[in-house]
Amino acid sequence: MAARRTGVSTGTVSRRDFLRTAAASAAVASSAGLGGVRVALAQTAPKKGGTLRVGFYIEAATMDPHLSGSKIDRQVYHNIYEPLVTLDVKLGIKPGLAESWQQPDPKTLIFKLRQGVKFHDGTDFNAEAAKFNFNRMKTEAKSVRKGELANVDSVDVVDAYTIKLNLKKPDAALLATLTDRAGMMVSPKVAQERGGELERNAKGAGTGPFEFVEWVRDDHLLIKRNEAYWNKQGGPYLDRVRYRPIPDDTVKLQSLQAGEIDVIDYVQPRDVAAVKADKNLVVVDVPSLADFAYQLSHTKPPFNSKPLRQAVAYALDLDQIVKGVWLNVGVPANGPIPPTSWAYDKSISPIKRDVAKAKAKLAEGGKAGGFAFTLTTNNLPINVQEAEVMQAQLAEAGIQMKIKLVDSATLISDGNAKNFEMISYQWSGRPDPDGNVYQFFKTSPGTSLNWSGISNPKLDALLDQTREVSNHAERKKLYTEVTKILQDELPMVFIVHPIEPKAFNPKVQGYEPIPDGMMRFKDVWLR
Amino acid sequence: MGRLVLRRLGATIPVLLLVTAGVFSLLHLTPGDPIDAMMAESVDATVKETLRRQLGLDQPIPVQYAAWMKRLLHGDLGRSIRNGEPVLESVGRRIRPSLELTALAMTISLVIAFPVGILSAYRHNGPVDRVGTSFALFGICMPNFLLALLLIFVFGVTLRWLPISGYLDPLEEGWSGLRSLVLPAVTLGLALAAVVTRTLRSSMLEALTEDYVRTARAKGLSEWAVLRGHVLRNALIPVVTVLGLQLGTLIGGAVITEYVFALPGVGRLVVDAVFARDYPLVQGVVLLIALGFIASNLLVDLLYGLIDPRLRRG
Repeated sequence: MAARRTGVSTGTVSRRDFLRTAAASAAVASSAGLGGVRVALAQTAPKKGGTLRVGFYIEAATMDPHLSGSKIDRQVYHNIYEPLVTLDVKLGIKPGLAESWQQPDPKTLIFKLRQGVKFHDGTDFNAEAAKFNFNRMKTEAKSVRKGELANVDSVDVVDAYTIKLNLKKPDAALLATLTDRAGMMVSPKVAQERGGELERNAKGAGTGPFEFVEWVRDDHLLIKRNEAYWNKQGGPYLDRVRYRPIPDDTVKLQSLQAGEIDVIDYVQPRDVAAVKADKNLVVVDVPSLADFAYQLSHTKPPFNSKPLRQAVAYALDLDQIVKGVWLNVGVPANGPIPPTSWAYDKSISPIKRDVAKAKAKLAEGGKAGGFAFTLTTNNLPINVQEAEVMQAQLAEAGIQMKIKLVDSATLISDGNAKNFEMISYQWSGRPDPDGNVYQFFKTSPGTSLNWSGISNPKLDALLDQTREVSNHAERKKLYTEVTKILQDELPMVFIVHPIEPKAFNPKVQGYEPIPDGMMRFKDVWLR
Repeated sequence: MGRLVLRRLGATIPVLLLVTAGVFSLLHLTPGDPIDAMMAESVDATVKETLRRQLGLDQPIPVQYAAWMKRLLHGDLGRSIRNGEPVLESVGRRIRPSLELTALAMTISLVIAFPVGILSAYRHNGPVDRVGTSFALFGICMPNFLLALLLIFVFGVTLRWLPISGYLDPLEEGWSGLRSLVLPAVTLGLALAAVVTRTLRSSMLEALTEDYVRTARAKGLSEWAVLRGHVLRNALIPVVTVLGLQLGTLIGGAVITEYVFALPGVGRLVVDAVFARDYPLVQGVVLLIALGFIASNLLVDLLYGLIDPRLRRG
C-alpha cells in the first residue's frame, strides 16, 4: 500500500501546493492565479470514465430546484440542471443556458437562449420551456423561489429562443440570482407529468452534463454522464458520480483517507491542519460567500438600546474567535459582504475589541453595572464553542450572556417569530452582495429574514439604490455606506466569513473552485 | 399459550394509543415547525400559511391526532411533509438494514456471551472469570460512538480490512453486504454481549448454589448435564428478559451507530424526521418502534413459557 502511494505523492505535493496557492489567490480574486489552475490541471489530457464518489455531511432534501431550501441540494443541482447564467471563479457572470443577455432599460431583461439544448427526457429547451419555469417558480404552492423572483412581473416569449423578463422595479441583483436555483430550468414535460414526485426522482428533468439515475435516501444518489450534452468542449468525462451522506465528520474524513470516497464537501476547521499534512490528500480552500453573525432584537430590551448593542460589539474579540474557534479557517467579518465579493471594502476594518469603550457604552445605555441577556444558538460543536468564547469575552466587560442551545427548526421559528434577544444566523451567502444584505436589513413588516427588526430610513433608501444602480463601482460605494451604517446601528454583530475547504483524493483532476462552494463536475476526471 | 398471545395482542391497542398520542403531543408542543424548517430561506408568509392549511397544521392538536388516527385505521400512514413520499414506503425501506443489523449484533453477542458467561460462573474467580468480568466492564463502560470510532480507525483506516461507512444489503450483495455490516454489528454486539455476560454469570452463580444442583450432582449426572439441564435452564429467564428489551431497542434503530457508520436505518430516519419536524414520518416510525417492542416482549413471554413450564399456564 505504502509503496503504491509513494509514486503518487511526489507528483501530488507540488500540485497540492499549487492548488493551495491558487485557492489563496482566489481569495483575493486574482485572475492570474486562477487562470493558472485550469492550465495546470489540464497538463495531462483528461481521460474519460470512472465513478467519482462524493461524501456529503447531510442528505439532500429535494430534487426539485424550485422547491429547495437546502444548501446541499445545490451541490447536486449544479451537475444535473443548468441555470440561464453561471458564475466564473471571480464571481463574474457568464453564459449558461442563455447565450447572451441585454438590458435595454432597467426594468427589462432579455435573454437569447442557446439552441440545440435538450432536456434529459429528449424534449427541447426553448423560450416556452423557460417561460414555463418562471411561471412555475412564481405560482407553485411550495415554491421557495417566490422571494428571489419577487421583482419579475411577467415573462414574454419574444421568439422561439428569446425571452423577455419584465420587472416591477429595477433589480441589479437579479442576474446573479439567476446563476442558481432561480435560474435553473426543469423539463416542463417532467414537471407536469411527475408533479410532486420530481422531489424524489429527477430522471429526465435537467439539461446538465449529468443525468439523474437514482436516489436511495440516506444511502446514495447516483447520476451518470449525459452523452448528448450540448457543450462539446471539455467534459463531462466521468461515467458516474455517486453522492453519499456521511453524517459524522470524522468518519467522512476517514472514508476519504481510506479511499472509499474521492471528495468531501467540507473539512471541519479542527481537521484542516491534519488533512493538509496528509500527503495522500489534496485540500482546496474554497473561499465562501457565507456570513456568520448574530442578530440583535431591536424591538425589545435590552437591545432596543443602541449603546448596549455597541457595548456587546466592542466587548467581542473577533480575532480571538477566528483564531481560537475557527482555527483561522475564515476571516473576521467587517459586515455582511464577504471578501470574495467585488463589493467588499477592505478599508473598513472589523470592529476592534475595546473593553474600556464597551464599559463607557454600558454607562451611556444606563447599565454601568452591566446587564444580562440570552443568546439562542445551534446545538453544534463549533457554535457552542464560539458561544462560550463570546460569553467569556463579554463577562470581562461586565456583560452576562446566557446560552440557549436549540436545533435548527427551533432556531428558524424563534427567529421568524422574533422570539429572541440575540440569535445565531449562518447565511450560506449569495454571489451578488444584495443576497447577503437587502433582505436582512430593509424595513419589512411581517415575516422576513430581518429578524432584528431594524428599520432605518437612511439605510432603506441606500438599499433601494443598490438595486437601481447597475454599475459595480457605484454600487460598491453604496455598499460601503451600508456597511458603515451597519457597524454603527448593529442589527447584527458580524463574526466571520468562513472558508470552506474541500478535500480530494489526488486522482481527482480538473476541479475549479468557484466561491459559491458548489462542486461542478463537468470538467472533472479521474487519473 | 394461545390465550396468552391473544391477551397480549389485546393489550397492544391501549399501548399503541398511548404511545402515539404521547409522541404526537410532545412533537407538536416542541418549538419549531415543519414548514419553517423546510422553507428556511423563503419568507413568504402567505405561502407558508397556505401550506399549513393544506396540511391541516392549523387545526388544534387533538383534531390533527384524530385525523391521523382515522387515516391509520384505513391503513394510510400519510406522506412525509418534507418530500411527499408515503411514510409506509420510507419506513419499509429502512426497516431492512435495521433488522439485519439487529440480527447480526444479537448473533455476535450470543456467540460471545454464552461461552464467557457460563465459564465465568462455572470457574468462579478463575482466569476466564477475571478476563470475562473485565471484558464485561469494558463493554458496559465504553460509549458506543467511541468504540465505533476505534474500530473504524483500526480495521478501516489502519488495516483496511473492512469498509468504514455505508451499507450494502447482505441479502442481495452477499459477502460484501455482510462486510459492510461487520463493524456496526460488532459495535452493538460487544456492548450487548457485556450485559448478557454479566446477567448470565450472576444468575448462573445463583443457580449453582441451589439445592437441586447438589441433588442433580448427587444422583450422578455428568457436570455437563447438570450445567445444561439444571443450571443454565434456570438461569436463562433474566437473560431472555435482557435480550428481549435489547431486541426492541435495536429494532427501533441504533441511532448513534447508524449515524457513525452512515447506515440507512430506522434510527437515522426518525432523528432526521424529528429535526425536520416531519410529523407524519415521526408518527409512522414511532408506531413501528412501538410494534417492535410489543413483538419482542411477546416473544420473550413465549420463551419464558418454553424455558419454565410453570409460566406456561399464566
